Amino acid sequence: MVLHEIFGVFVYPGMALLFGLAFLYEWIDRKFFARVQNRIGPLYTGPSGILQPVADFLKLLSKEDIVPESCEKPIFSVIPIVYATLPLIALFVIPITGSALISFEGDIIFLMFISALITLSVFLAGWSSAGSFSRIGSIRSALQMLSYEIPFGLALIGPAISAHSLSLTKIAQWQAANSSWFLWLQPIGFAVVLISLLAELELVPFDIPEAETEIVAGWLTEYGGRRLALFRLGKDLELVMASTLVASLYLGGAQPLFFIPPVLILIIKSVVVLLLISFVRALFARFRIDQMTSGMWTYLLPLMIVQILLVQLGIGG
Amino acid sequence: MSYGTTIKVPFGPQHPALKEPEYFLFEVDGDIVVKVTPRIGYVHRGVEKAFEQETYLHNLYLAERICGICSHAHSTCYTQTVEGLVPLEIPPRAVYIRLIMAELERLHSHSLWVGIAAHEAGFDTLFMYLWRDREMIMDLMEEISGNRVTHAINTIGGVRRDITGEQATKIKKFMDKFEGNVKEYMKVLETEQTFLKRTKDVGILKPRDAIALCAVGPTLRASGIKSDVRADDPYLAYGEIPFNVITHDGCDIYARTIVRCEEMIESANIIKYALDHMPEGKIKVPPPRTIAPNESVGRVEAPRGELIHYARSNGTNKPERYKVRAPTLGNLASVCQTLIGAHVADIPLILAGIDPCFSCMDRVIITKKGE
Amino acid sequence: MSLFREAAKQIFRKPATLKYPFEPGIVPPGLRGRPVWDMEKCILCVLCQNACPTAAIKMIPKGPDAGIEYHLDRCIFCAECADACPRKAITMTTNFELADTSRSRMVQHYKKPQPAQSQTQTQTQAQPPKQ
Repeated sequence: MVLHEIFGVFVYPGMALLFGLAFLYEWIDRKFFARVQNRIGPLYTGPSGILQPVADFLKLLSKEDIVPESCEKPIFSVIPIVYATLPLIALFVIPITGSALISFEGDIIFLMFISALITLSVFLAGWSSAGSFSRIGSIRSALQMLSYEIPFGLALIGPAISAHSLSLTKIAQWQAANSSWFLWLQPIGFAVVLISLLAELELVPFDIPEAETEIVAGWLTEYGGRRLALFRLGKDLELVMASTLVASLYLGGAQPLFFIPPVLILIIKSVVVLLLISFVRALFARFRIDQMTSGMWTYLLPLMIVQILLVQLGIGG
Repeated sequence: MSYGTTIKVPFGPQHPALKEPEYFLFEVDGDIVVKVTPRIGYVHRGVEKAFEQETYLHNLYLAERICGICSHAHSTCYTQTVEGLVPLEIPPRAVYIRLIMAELERLHSHSLWVGIAAHEAGFDTLFMYLWRDREMIMDLMEEISGNRVTHAINTIGGVRRDITGEQATKIKKFMDKFEGNVKEYMKVLETEQTFLKRTKDVGILKPRDAIALCAVGPTLRASGIKSDVRADDPYLAYGEIPFNVITHDGCDIYARTIVRCEEMIESANIIKYALDHMPEGKIKVPPPRTIAPNESVGRVEAPRGELIHYARSNGTNKPERYKVRAPTLGNLASVCQTLIGAHVADIPLILAGIDPCFSCMDRVIITKKGE
Repeated sequence: MSLFREAAKQIFRKPATLKYPFEPGIVPPGLRGRPVWDMEKCILCVLCQNACPTAAIKMIPKGPDAGIEYHLDRCIFCAECADACPRKAITMTTNFELADTSRSRMVQHYKKPQPAQSQTQTQTQAQPPKQ
């Protein structure tokens, strides 16, 4: 029993699978994004460059480790590990194989808590490294969190109200049982969750905290070597988290279909979400932080409140 | 919102938004810039002194290397200045070939800039598309002149390579395609809300300030002032070719983008017209080896604005004094004015808005108080 | 969102970028690459040396080493030497892959064939390795 659990945590559906997915998703994102821009994308490491994210990760691990003198050393060293761990923990709650590794009533709230913690760790990462670009980046990321967190939370709650459960697994099962996806039932919620996930993942048009042309690399500026590698791994895991979350909340989750294992179904669905995210991020220019904050509060939040009201009135679930 | 105290934000010499090393010190109050101190000279290369050491023909290649993007504008201006010293009349076909190259260069420089502007605003996809098209122009120039950047097609007394009929049809065909593409991108730029939000009413340069601070080129024309060396003081064959001087009343980054986009369309038309009306004949006349004492000034509308070269000869085969005034130097004062009151996030866009070319600009300038 | 149509079109289009170092690059016919001397035609007249703006060409007029010393690392590929040559002994090849790690390998010596020898052209230094 214990062995089985250890296998679950470390291999399947735990860390080994998730790391694999993280690197695979980064590759899909880069390749697809490149194709949208009429480029080739990663090409030479492995077939069609599929091993490029792994190679990048390994290369960064082997690089010199630089710690700026004026930084807060304890926080500076711990934060990369925290940042890589948080999305991993969140992924344990998401029912990837049909049932999650850990599932309990209220794990949606746990997820929201983790996503807030991720942003907090970003803030700490930027603030502790004491560079002027990092500080601006971390303030921006905190401001950004203040604006997308509430619509994001409401978008998670919408399906929960309909499914009468705060457990992700149960919400996914509800969709399977009623054979209807929340994508069709609550389309506004789906749009809002996608937009706020773009902000959470710091992708265009919301890549404000690490706007390359404005503040170098934002909160990541001072990091290099294995710390940067961990941050990049964390980012990839976040990408997996975001796409699997949307897939299981709004696209029906890991429904079994004929003989195809449910894991594969979920992966296909989440890849679709991932492609959607990469396509959307190719279409926009970057907002300024004040434009982003006011836009989120004046458009996204009212829209989401309308969606919740509709759900309460019995429309959409 | 004011915090009372200001923070100093350094910008450069190494910064992702600056493609060349130059240093700006911003004093920032909250998120608003209150003071800008530029520090230029990081890429000073002693070009003007080097001009005095070499012969007129060798200097041609030095002039071409002043700028990496408007190399043809510099070499055209150089040949024009030296031909003014002699004075030398160049064959009409050579004039047209120089003009076609100059307009091709304007196309590639402007598409480069619009791409950069999109990139500074975080619009990477459009940046990729524009640079893809720019690459095709570079290939075209490579085919005509033999090199992508330093074309070495100009020589004193004419040009070194002819444009064949085959190349002419190829250029014309490409111009039609390119014009369509630019119109498509303009539609995107005019309607994309995220881009409009970042560029409209950002980096305002009032017409009065623009004149007072000696702005040149597209920066000046985007403030609604009709000024273009090609129209005001026609050189090459610009007097024979009908074209419009594009202006825009927006005075902001958006206006600068649109002015450059429309100039691209205009340039494509100039190229097509020039190819149709190109006279036959010789492409060069032999230049003299030594030049009698004389003085001459050449003016060219480079992609970035008015470019001025000045030369003084002393009867030998080397110039006695050579002076280059690149357009970026004219625009630098205006951009510092424009930056005051801007958001920190808008700095790269505004700075890029003048299409800075710092290595063109860096000359020794000694200004002392009271002089 | 106005880029939507254009971006969607690109997904099914062939990428515009090339796999250059792994596949040969596209070379237009008139490219000015590395100049090559034909020492059969060369009359050692110094015109190319004088025409060169960067002093990349050095002529050795007499002796057993008589010939042309060509410095690839100084050359700017302007083709002034090819234009100046009265015997058209210099041709600009389209070879543009000229990078090397050693400066000494970038100096090349074209020897004027000695009347006694049947050898037409010898090079003291090795050709730069092809990538």
